[in-house]
Amino acid sequence: MRKYFYILKSELMSNLQYAFDILVGFISYCILIFIFLNLWKYIYADPTELINGYNMNQMIWYVIITEILWMSLGGRKLCKKICNDVKSGNIAYNINKPYNYVEYALFNHMGLVIIRFILVGLLGLILGIVFLHSFPSLTILEILGVLLSCLLATIINIMLVTSIGLISFFIEDANPFFWLYSKMILVIGTIFPIEFFPAVLQPIIKFSPIYVVSYGPAKLFVNFTMTNWTQIMIAQGIYLVISFLICHGIYYKGVKKLNVNGG
Amino acid sequence: MLTEVKNQWKVTMLSIKYALQREMLNKVTFFSNIIFMMLNNACFIVQWIILYSLKNEVGGYSFKQILLLWGIAAGTFGVSHFFFKESYELSETINTGKLDAFLIQPKNVLLSCITSSVEVSCIGDMIYGWIMLFIYGFTLKNALLFAFFCITGGFILTSVAVIFASLSFWFGRVEIVANTINSLMTNFATYPEGIFKGFVKILFYTILPIGIVNFLPIQLLKDFNFSTFLIIIGVTILFIAVAFFLFYKGLKRYSSSNLMNVRV
Repeated sequence: MRKYFYILKSELMSNLQYAFDILVGFISYCILIFIFLNLWKYIYADPTELINGYNMNQMIWYVIITEILWMSLGGRKLCKKICNDVKSGNIAYNINKPYNYVEYALFNHMGLVIIRFILVGLLGLILGIVFLHSFPSLTILEILGVLLSCLLATIINIMLVTSIGLISFFIEDANPFFWLYSKMILVIGTIFPIEFFPAVLQPIIKFSPIYVVSYGPAKLFVNFTMTNWTQIMIAQGIYLVISFLICHGIYYKGVKKLNVNGG
Repeated sequence: MLTEVKNQWKVTMLSIKYALQREMLNKVTFFSNIIFMMLNNACFIVQWIILYSLKNEVGGYSFKQILLLWGIAAGTFGVSHFFFKESYELSETINTGKLDAFLIQPKNVLLSCITSSVEVSCIGDMIYGWIMLFIYGFTLKNALLFAFFCITGGFILTSVAVIFASLSFWFGRVEIVANTINSLMTNFATYPEGIFKGFVKILFYTILPIGIVNFLPIQLLKDFNFSTFLIIIGVTILFIAVAFFLFYKGLKRYSSSNLMNVRV
């Protein structure tokens, strides 16, 4: 395990050099929050009105948190990197190293995600406080509970995106699968809480990855209860195991098909 | 003059044709890119179904008008990114000296450069745009106007990309500014104008001409007005002229990097 933490540390140090570039890249985050602020202000005639159990501030905080999780993930970059590793044959250099490629990809990418999460997290909190003049009432312990949920959500997300990238073993370009995954997370998981969907769809969404990678942590942030936290932790634990198995399954099946031309 | 335009048109179309042929080498990837882009766009319908279940209109738009707004946004984005993909990489092309390869060509440098490759997935955007028009209401008048606005909008988006990328001739690495402007245009384009207030609205008709690209065409498709139609044509010509002017003005300052580059 120590070697993976070393990979994480070196990637973290390397990305720290580009913190400013990363921050500039978050301009689109600010734009999205601005758009949703306007949209929800338009939808909520009265900010204290409750729609599906959420007031206007809770809705905007919900979007701020889900967007922090999604923007800090850098999923497109990860998927593209894995696709390129497989397509170009670069993966051959990783296979013969004394580590597992999937774990390498996870810890290597976490080095980027941690920096992005801190930067975009601070930016999101500042935007929320400036625009809404409020902050959800959370104790220190509850904040730690939310952060743990965010960490698990990110690990599950990385494993799922890695699995999508590894599809490149079987078809040339797996990026279109990532577009679909990202839009599914964005539309169903980022913009609205599950309660906004028709009752018939809610149980389906609760069993989907959206519940653990997006809805769970954001719901805990806007309305923390011990019951919710326990439920979300159990769901995240189950998904962690499932995503780990899927990712390794695709990897081992794909490696058997690998055929790299020397050069 | 006319022969020159005709020749330039022929060369530009050939450049796009060969770029498309390169992309079609792998048929599975080619078609999956198109289909997945259409599905990708279609995902957003869910967002609007939910919003319209909360309110009958959003920003003064009916549900069908939102679909049409998405159609125009996808159509204009598709035209711009398919035919003129390299205008979005122009800043890097200038900074890295890759423009050298286009300077030695006998035809228009800017057109040769920005049409040198195509973005296949944008065919999916263009098809999606037409599907949205069919859902909105297909008539011959709507179809002609829609096609026309996709072209004018595509030209404006490309011109904005060229204008900001051309600043690289003077200020060097301006990719961040150019990318931010392009990202702003794309993000705002799919939300109704009515939800925004104040200063942002002014931006929509000046530095970020989403109003001309998206919002005015929606108005015209609902209720045609000849003077607004002329405004769209006039602004499109203006943006194209400014893009060409700035690029060629800047090109005089361009110095080669002696980059060895092979275009196959």
